[in-house]
This record gives sequence, structure tokens and C-alpha cells, in this order.
Amino acid sequence: MDSQIAALSSVGVLIEAVGRDSQVALKRLYELEARRLYGIALRIVRRPEIAADVLQEAFVQIWQNAATFSAERGTGAAWLTGIVRFRALDAVRKLGREILTDDPGLGDAAIEPDVIEKIDAAAEAGALKRCLKLLEEEQRRCIVLAFVDGLSHSEVAERVRAPLGSVKSWIRRGLLSLRRCLQR
Amino acid sequence: MIPENPDDLHILAGEYVLGVLDETDARQVAGALATNIELRRAVTFWEEQLHPLSELASPAEPPPGTWEAIEARITKPIPRPAASRLWGNVALWRWSTAGFAAAAAASLALWIVMTPASGPSFLAVLHPPQQDQAGWVATAGRSGLVVRAVSAATPPTDRAFELWAIAPGSTRPRSLGVIPPNGELKLSTLPPDLRDGATLAISIEPIGGSPTHQPTGPVVFVGSVKAV
Repeated sequence: MDSQIAALSSVGVLIEAVGRDSQVALKRLYELEARRLYGIALRIVRRPEIAADVLQEAFVQIWQNAATFSAERGTGAAWLTGIVRFRALDAVRKLGREILTDDPGLGDAAIEPDVIEKIDAAAEAGALKRCLKLLEEEQRRCIVLAFVDGLSHSEVAERVRAPLGSVKSWIRRGLLSLRRCLQR
Repeated sequence: MIPENPDDLHILAGEYVLGVLDETDARQVAGALATNIELRRAVTFWEEQLHPLSELASPAEPPPGTWEAIEARITKPIPRPAASRLWGNVALWRWSTAGFAAAAAASLALWIVMTPASGPSFLAVLHPPQQDQAGWVATAGRSGLVVRAVSAATPPTDRAFELWAIAPGSTRPRSLGVIPPNGELKLSTLPPDLRDGATLAISIEPIGGSPTHQPTGPVVFVGSVKAV
């Protein structure tokens, strides 16, 4: 049974096995997903030791909540990403962005305007890519910055050097257009 | 306030998933997820749709020892006398919010005083699916089962919360009863399905409980039962 689990590579199936208290499945999930998830956390919190804490907290939470994951609710990968992002955002709120250095040597370089070209052309990304392209430049930039770097409204405003009110309304209008396009 | 207008609701859900909301607003959304199906659907929609953006963060190797630290935290502690074992388990909850931890610790402390040390004891923390904010704590032992709301939780108008137990390996929930409006359900005997590895769930049902003896409404809280 455990060796069968270890051979599995479907994230959703592994999460369901974790939900039945399989530590082997959790380890396999870690082997498959830790690098991706750590990269997401590091991008948001910037400091390796804090990103490692975030990853640890996230996996404990995955262990505890896996029984509530149901495949029809969404894909396993997006569920894992959601947990890691919320843990990373919590860490940023708790520690304050100021102690999380913005040293460009840590994490990735800042997001460039042509960033959406870098999203993998996988089928699932196709609709998002197409719809992001339809947004106005500043709407797209704010949404991508907020998601990938985990920035708050005011941090996005600082980064794009625009008034807070404008940033809030760009994000809202951008989300609305995005939803209409994605639902088509 | 969670808007009812679908556009506004989707914008709020999108802002929540992006992470741009301030802490107060984010907590309000997180709290409403348990009972607001539309909001939950909207959050799942954005988590799925925006997921490809997470590829923009380059994968990186976590520091050595990270897995070992996780493993140490999910592995059951070596049995020790009842009270200290229970407190040891509190560490499992450290990821949760400070407010919850305090509330949980308070209800646990009370439980330790009230519960005889003999016989098996079980603990479950119930939270909304995909959320870490605890809504209910269930404690069980030879003297029965007590389920208490940690934070104020009220079912929608003309509906009630019903508690279900699912035995390990089973897919069939068994009703443990409707939770009274004061947010506390007590049973004087330990239900047979309630053992280590079982699942407890709370669904929204008509007043008086599900007419079919199976959940008919959405499951709004869920948690695993652990022996302590």
C-alpha cells in the first residue's frame, strides 16, 4: 500500500492519501512539490529562513487539512499554492515588510511589463494569458505584482509609483474584466 | 460586509486571493467562507484561474532539514501522562491564529479539569474546508463528547448546524445531532464512529436536522479526530 502511494505522482491523489493519514504520501508530495512551493514562498517573503518556516507551516497545515480537499473543488496544485501563499502573506503581515529586505540579490528580479510572456504556454495557462493581454497595462501589472510578490494595495502603489486610489481601482476593474473574459 | 452583487463579490474574492486586502478585511472574508457558498466558489475560481501566475516565481531548493522538521511535527509524540500529552499536542496548532490558540487553550484547560484521565481521549479541531481558522473544538472520552464553537458561528436563517462523524475508512457520515443555538453540543456516551482517524464534519441543514439522515447541505467545518 505504502509503496504504491510512493510511486504515485498525481498531486490530487497524493493529497487524498494524505487525508487518510499517509505520511508516505506527504513525503512524496514534498518531494514533488517542495521546490515549486518554496520558490513561491521565497518570492513573497524574500528571506530563505522565513520561506523555510512558511514551507514547514504549510506542510503541517496540508497534513491537517488534506481530508477536506476534494478533487472536484479544484486541482491539487492550486490548493497547495493557495495554502503556501496564505502562509507567506501571514508571515509578511506578522513580521512587517520592512524587516524583509528588498535586496535584489534575494529571490527573483522585479516583474517586467512583458511578464505574461513568461507564463508557460500550457493549455491551462492559455485562457489566463489571453485574458491578461486584454487588460490595460497598469491593471495587468498591478494584478501580477500583487499575486506573485504578495504585495498589498499600498505596496503595489509604492512599487508602481501611483496613487493608492488608482491602484485599488485598477485592480478592481482588472479583476472584473478578467472574470468576464475567463468565463466566456 | 460581504457584498451580494455577483460582480462585487467576485472582486472581493479576487482581492482576497491576490492578497491585497488589509488584515481586517482578509479575516472578514476568511470568516465568511464557512457559510457563504457563493464567496467560496468565487475564491476557488480565482485560485484556479490565477494559479498559472505562480509559475513566475522560480522554483528553489528548500534549506536542508526542512522535511525533517515537518516530519517531526506530524509524527505523534511518544505517550506520556494524559495532561502533558495533551499540552504537547497543542503544539500541533501553533500554525493557527493567536486568538484561536488562546481560545482553544482555554477550552482545553477546562476540559482537562473536567475529564477523567482514564480511557481513550480524542480531540478534533474543525475548520472551514481549505481554511486554517478553527471554528469548533471537539473533545471526547469515556464521559462522552463535547463540541464547542471557538468563535461565534451562526447558521443561515432557518437553518441549523448538524454534526456528523465519519469512521476511518468509511464514506458514510453518521449524524451525531443538531448543534443547539448556543453553539455547544454534548453527548453523554462516546459514539462508536468516534475514534482515532475519524472525521468530524458540520453541515448546514434544515432546522431539526437532515430529513434523509445524510448531509443535504454544504459541509462548512471539518476536522480529523486524533487520539491524545
